[in-house]
Amino acid sequence: MPPLKLAVVGGGPSAFYVASRLLSLLPHHQPRGADLKIHIYDRLWAPHGLVRYGVAPDHPEVKNVTHKFDQAAADDRFRFFGNVQVGPQSSHIIPHALSLPLDALSQHYTHILFATGCTIPTLHDVLPPSDRIQSALSLVHWYTQHPSHSNPPPLDTISHVTLIGQGNVSLDVARMLLSGSSALEQYDVPEVVLDVMRRSSVRHVSIVGRRGPHQAAFTTKELREMMNLKDASLLPIDPAVLEPPPDAKLSRQQSRILQLLQKGSVNAPRSTPKSWSLDFFRSPAAFSQLPSGKLRISLAHTALDLHERAISTGETSALETDLVVTALGHHADPAQAFYDPALRHLRTLSGRIINPLGRAVKNVYASGWAAMGARGVLASTLLDAYAVADTIIADHFPGATGATTSIAPTAPPAVSEERLTAENVVLNSIPAAVEQGLEDGRVVGYEQWKAVDAEEVKRGAEKGKERERMGWEEARTFLARPV
Amino acid sequence: MSRPRLAVHALARCRPSLRVAGLPRAPHGAPRRALHATVVRQHGSITRPEPGTGIKLNFRDAKGDVLKVVEANEGDDILSIAHEHDIDLEGACEGSVACSTCHVILSPQHYDLIPEPEDDENDMLDMAFGLTDTSRLGCQVKLTRTLDGMDVQLPSATRNMFVDGKKPTHH
Ligand SMILES: Cc1cc2nc3c(=O)[nH]c(=O)nc-3n(C[C@H](O)[C@H](O)[C@H](O)COP(=O)(O)OP(=O)(O)OC[C@H]3O[C@@H](n4cnc5c(N)ncnc54)[C@H](O)[C@@H]3O)c2cc1C
Ligand code: FES
Repeated sequence: MPPLKLAVVGGGPSAFYVASRLLSLLPHHQPRGADLKIHIYDRLWAPHGLVRYGVAPDHPEVKNVTHKFDQAAADDRFRFFGNVQVGPQSSHIIPHALSLPLDALSQHYTHILFATGCTIPTLHDVLPPSDRIQSALSLVHWYTQHPSHSNPPPLDTISHVTLIGQGNVSLDVARMLLSGSSALEQYDVPEVVLDVMRRSSVRHVSIVGRRGPHQAAFTTKELREMMNLKDASLLPIDPAVLEPPPDAKLSRQQSRILQLLQKGSVNAPRSTPKSWSLDFFRSPAAFSQLPSGKLRISLAHTALDLHERAISTGETSALETDLVVTALGHHADPAQAFYDPALRHLRTLSGRIINPLGRAVKNVYASGWAAMGARGVLASTLLDAYAVADTIIADHFPGATGATTSIAPTAPPAVSEERLTAENVVLNSIPAAVEQGLEDGRVVGYEQWKAVDAEEVKRGAEKGKERERMGWEEARTFLARPV
Repeated sequence: MSRPRLAVHALARCRPSLRVAGLPRAPHGAPRRALHATVVRQHGSITRPEPGTGIKLNFRDAKGDVLKVVEANEGDDILSIAHEHDIDLEGACEGSVACSTCHVILSPQHYDLIPEPEDDENDMLDMAFGLTDTSRLGCQVKLTRTLDGMDVQLPSATRNMFVDGKKPTHH
């Protein structure tokens, strides 16, 4: 059997689900599994992508997925290399990551999978980032202490926050701002973050969306959590907005969200120290900074056209706020190979990377948010990853059956001449720079991550919380300790 | 219906509420669900009954073909049973009602015998792929004797479901 030696660029859930699927469908003891190797590279020193550096701290259950990732990593055909940035990257540099050109992988691997996610926040045309305008991702990076080092938001000097966008990330941020530090202390929230939260003077969060409740991207669960907040209440929503159009055929989720909105928050409006509002059919059109430092945002009122697009009605209103947080989704890094500017993610067909001429690049694949765009919860990331793993197997062992996913791989498209991978490889080789990085303690393996992981949990337990996170410098010192 | 609804209900709702030792209760007073230092559902998390004495379940694939007929005990949940018998049913959040990957489709006559899902299960079902009128989260359905002979079908997925981004919603 020809070897299947796969380099995975990016070590988030998609990478781990593909690895897990390949390792279990091609078991060790079978001829097809004997020559399988999977090496995951991540620019971050710690694995698991947005599960570690995205999922909100008060959703610890979601992080249970890492047990499955640990199981995959325990297979001796698997290796992880943290702190290795593969290929070019635009501005969002991780300062301490080893930079590895993509072609440094070529001679060592028969296959490459891009599972690099969508790491760049989509900005709003009229709201460029500044000290008063931040992306939700930079707040998420702050409260998860992501290695890109986001500055803390000035929570102790502000009272009114405006979120632009009505998806789950927006609600995550709203919940973090309204929950209060005492409700978050038990979770995986770093002490430096809790310190800022304890001093927070935020009283109101406005969540603005240019369309209506039926188009909102948040899910029922996250909306219900907002409704159940202990110290906050939802300000009344204009009942006309919550009236479904007479001929509307609502999905199950849409009608359940509508019911929830009609019921309102558990706490009566204005009965609590903090409040929040959902401002539907409003779109930022301009802003100015007042002498007080506050921002005044001019909101265009909108209505939906036949295609459910938001169009301005000509009316406007003004909103004064202390901090604007844009939560408008994410896209892949334009500096990356195979990035398609129109799609804003990598160009693929059923998981196979496609060049601009529509031809498949042999043995090169993409999965997860890198391939689909920044949408979908872990359940869809999982399904996609399994389908991509099955495609890799179907391409490598043509005619062989055994993959059991209900999503059958499509027939392979025409293949281009370009080659990014090698046919004859040494099964255990890795690029020399990575080898050196391991020796220097700059590149982190999975066993080392597990040691840090255990130490983080231990340090957390001492404080009565889920874990106390380390940053890279701390982790590096910890890993270099004499044992 | 004369079944003892409350009792069955209590069974159906029994979730892992294990907590990391020493952690304070959630301030809201509600017991928090499993933090991730808890049970992993694997082989051995449930015991198999003596052959011929258990409650029978027919696991079926997305096409409806029988994958396996298994026996299990009263109180076992469908996710744990599936794992015990190597059925390809995911349980990404390990039974904490936070993922919907354990979605299964039950035979209608048995579905009607199970207490209705509560809000949080319904919230996750909203996002499940291939939802039907008799869909449940496998981790939330605990067996009772009356469920003997139940069909448990894995949902079907198609590429479009996630590629076009229609379902589940954007994050
Ligand atoms: C803030 C936030 C909260 C979320 N919360 C939930 C939730 O509660 N529940 C849920 O089900 N889903 C949630 N999601 C969605 C979930 O996180 C995604 O479905 C999932 O993470 C996508 O996985 P991925 O592996 O494709 O991408 P990612 O998780 O983004 O992983 C990509 C990895 O690639 C690495 N990388 C990128 N470029 C390079 C490079 N050039 N070289 C090396 N490494 C690179 C990155 O560092 C990253 O680790 C959330 C998403 C966000 C943004
Ligand atoms: S295992 Fe996650 S909801 Fe059942």
